[in-house]
Amino acid sequence: MNDDDIDRILSAQDEILPSSGFAASVMEAVRRDAATPPPIPFPWARAWPVVAAGALALAGIPWVVIEAIRQSARSPGFGAISPDRVEPYLRAATDAGAHWLALAAALTLISVLASRRLAGRSV
Amino acid sequence: MAGDQDRDDVRSVLAGDLGAFEGIVRRWQVPLVNLAYRFCGDRGRAEDMAQEAFLRAYRALGRWRGDAAFSTWLFALAGNLYRSELRRIPPRAIALDDLPEPTEPRSADPPLERDDRDRAVRRSVQALPAKYREAMILFYFHGMDVAAAARSLEVPEGTVKARLSRGRDILRRRLLPVFAAPEPKEAR
Repeated sequence: MNDDDIDRILSAQDEILPSSGFAASVMEAVRRDAATPPPIPFPWARAWPVVAAGALALAGIPWVVIEAIRQSARSPGFGAISPDRVEPYLRAATDAGAHWLALAAALTLISVLASRRLAGRSV
Repeated sequence: MAGDQDRDDVRSVLAGDLGAFEGIVRRWQVPLVNLAYRFCGDRGRAEDMAQEAFLRAYRALGRWRGDAAFSTWLFALAGNLYRSELRRIPPRAIALDDLPEPTEPRSADPPLERDDRDRAVRRSVQALPAKYREAMILFYFHGMDVAAAARSLEVPEGTVKARLSRGRDILRRRLLPVFAAPEPKEAR
């Protein structure tokens, strides 16, 4: 079998005909679609202030971090990590339930990944 | 002729006459279902895909500017939909074992043997990797030239030529064991 054979065979069409109810089925779907109200648009006008505030807050994070480092650099013993300096942060994190938050975040991540994997396999 | 009818029907639909869309469906249902069938090789799924293509065409009708033929626009839309649909759910792979066994080279009924072989070759296109399959479907089954296929696939023409050549190579290699015994008249 050479290229000419393949060209000839593939160029010869064997046509199928749609089933008799195909056009009616399409028109029914189109009518149903036309009767469906358009989706409610996202309320950008109301969301803009919140989005802008969030963007400003995000943009401010680097500035806060840089300021904190600058302040620490001025204090004596900069660079040394001692238990005395870490302890207040650990206590604050424990009081805020950080371990539960971390556990919940990990479980959420695992369940999302597992469900995506299962859904991917089923289709 | 069909172009004028398409234009009139589109105008009517956009003006609110939903029934005019049926003219478009009846005019293009055979080519659209066939194009889908070339992609997936399953009649029922081809009709589902073609129905979805018509539905999307209806929704996007206002975006057809009329500078290209309506059929070009419709087939580009359908082709994109079919390709993404098959990437989402690939067609059932056709194993070479499913292809018909060749009959004796000197069969009593050579035309039937040739029909089997030709059908097997066309079916085996569906077993090609997606990028070769898409190029071959548009070029051979949909009758597009290289330039049109390249535009539809959004790749350079050279890429389409390379994919067609590679697709033919794969087909030839895969089908060689099945059709090792050539018909005496066509053996070269």
